[in-house]
Amino acid sequence: MTAAPPALLHRVGDRALAWLHSNREYFRLTDDDRATGRGLVERLKPVGELAINMRVLAREGVAGSRQRDLSRQLLDFAWRDLLDGGNVLADLQAEEPLSPVPLEIYASLHELGYRHPGLEAAIDLARTTASWRAVEMLPNRRLGLLNAERKIGLVPSGDAEQALAATWLGRTPEPWTVQFHLAYDITHTVFHLTDWGAAPDRLPPRIAGYLALYLPAWTADWAELEHWDLLGELLVVDACLPAPTLDARMWERYAAAQAADGAMPVQGAMPAGDPETVFDLVHHPTLVAAFASAMATSRALSSDVAA
Amino acid sequence: MAEQAQENSSLSAVVADVAAGVALALDGGRDSSALSGVLAQDDPLALAAIRVLGADVLAPYALRAGGGPGTTTDTGTDMDSGMAHRRTARASGVGAGPAARGARADGEVVRKALAAYPPGADASEVSLWSYRGLVEASRAYLPAGQGGPESPAGAGDRAAGPAAVAGWLQADPWPQLAHRASQLAALSLPGLAPALATGLAARTEDLSRGFVRAVRRRDWLQAAGIGRWLARVPDVPDTLGLDTGLVYVLRMSGGDARVALHTAIARRFHGRGAR
Repeated sequence: MTAAPPALLHRVGDRALAWLHSNREYFRLTDDDRATGRGLVERLKPVGELAINMRVLAREGVAGSRQRDLSRQLLDFAWRDLLDGGNVLADLQAEEPLSPVPLEIYASLHELGYRHPGLEAAIDLARTTASWRAVEMLPNRRLGLLNAERKIGLVPSGDAEQALAATWLGRTPEPWTVQFHLAYDITHTVFHLTDWGAAPDRLPPRIAGYLALYLPAWTADWAELEHWDLLGELLVVDACLPAPTLDARMWERYAAAQAADGAMPVQGAMPAGDPETVFDLVHHPTLVAAFASAMATSRALSSDVAA
Repeated sequence: MAEQAQENSSLSAVVADVAAGVALALDGGRDSSALSGVLAQDDPLALAAIRVLGADVLAPYALRAGGGPGTTTDTGTDMDSGMAHRRTARASGVGAGPAARGARADGEVVRKALAAYPPGADASEVSLWSYRGLVEASRAYLPAGQGGPESPAGAGDRAAGPAAVAGWLQADPWPQLAHRASQLAALSLPGLAPALATGLAARTEDLSRGFVRAVRRRDWLQAAGIGRWLARVPDVPDTLGLDTGLVYVLRMSGGDARVALHTAIARRFHGRGAR
């Protein structure tokens, strides 16, 4: 298997970042969002994903100077304009004290140096309750919450090993049963376990071996289905493995799916519509493209790519 | 051949009938393993069906012979007492009875099929292998004098060359390798193609990937074919869940006779699948 050249890997992220930057206004909460509070969490999710992405870019150090500038501008925009310096998150926490969402979004921004003491105090307060640890959520999200706590310097409110054991991936079941939603459970377990690729060595060898064995089968399948959003996430998982393949054929298909302006469609071709609609449809796969590119480029430039 | 079969529904139907008959014989549901008993002798498609299924049409003989020559499989562990009894009966000299007549008739019908459908000059490698597998199976599994047809047109010899083993077994990426292995599943019967078996055994991980992909794509026939090769090897990864996988593939195929034959062979020869 041939590994994709770093230039190809890098170009995907470069173009994705350019699109995210030029479409940044569409991340904004609308007046309606703010007035009703309806859908606030849904509107905030992309902002959190944007922050995670910029954190990955800063950490992996693979961005050129132009990318670094765009990334910094996007971050400041997210913190100041979208989150009102963290006030939006603090308000949400006040509204729903046990919601993990503000912490999940704040964690990456905190690592990048942004601070909101009032939000931290509110998170601390919620964490004093037994209810915080008892709130029901998907096992892979629990793993993410523990990781977010660690990222802002708190002692995680639960045991990561137990949380992992409760996930689908933690049990390494029959790989041929993987369906669309299970595949996302797998990718997210890996993202949270490795702190969005920062610590690939947190993947236990048993799970890393399982992924190295079966990931190529899932990747090939969703590439054939042209599901670029999921393919991108699977390519991140590959880049988190001890010996990533960075499979050239997969990356070439993935790069070819990207639109000229850098947007990545969810599945098949780019959707048509007004810019807001298109943004809502493709911001996630495009964020994933930036993430996958940063991780893969970084691994390609180190010397641990599988033969 | 296999590709043509898919385009020809009447051939497909005959292939399914023959596959079902062989599977039944394997599971002990038919007294005689005789292929000739399964076939409608006057059906011109019967010979083509034999070529499509290849060596598998003689699988019941391989089982009675105790797994075939030169095998390292543990067929003894999964043979029920009925099979053991039959082996004893054969050893104690019922060779002149109906079973021997059946074997003679089967040798004849296989010879006809080989003569009727020799691989042409432009035959695919799969067709060559499948042809050679049937030649080999009739030599190895049918009692002496009833199998071992003279290889018509020398086509078998072309296929038997080591060149046929080389190349793709090492070089093919896993998706192509797994696809080809499934097309050659009949050659996984004991002792038929040792070099092929050894080459594929060295690529267990790649076949495991192919199995996963085939099930994901709901290509049950391919999955079952790959599963047969995996059933042979002792180091198939536990995480693959091959046993539940074979049962799953069989059930999900909705009664596909060729899938059922593959899974019956994995079960009867290697004890994989239903436990």
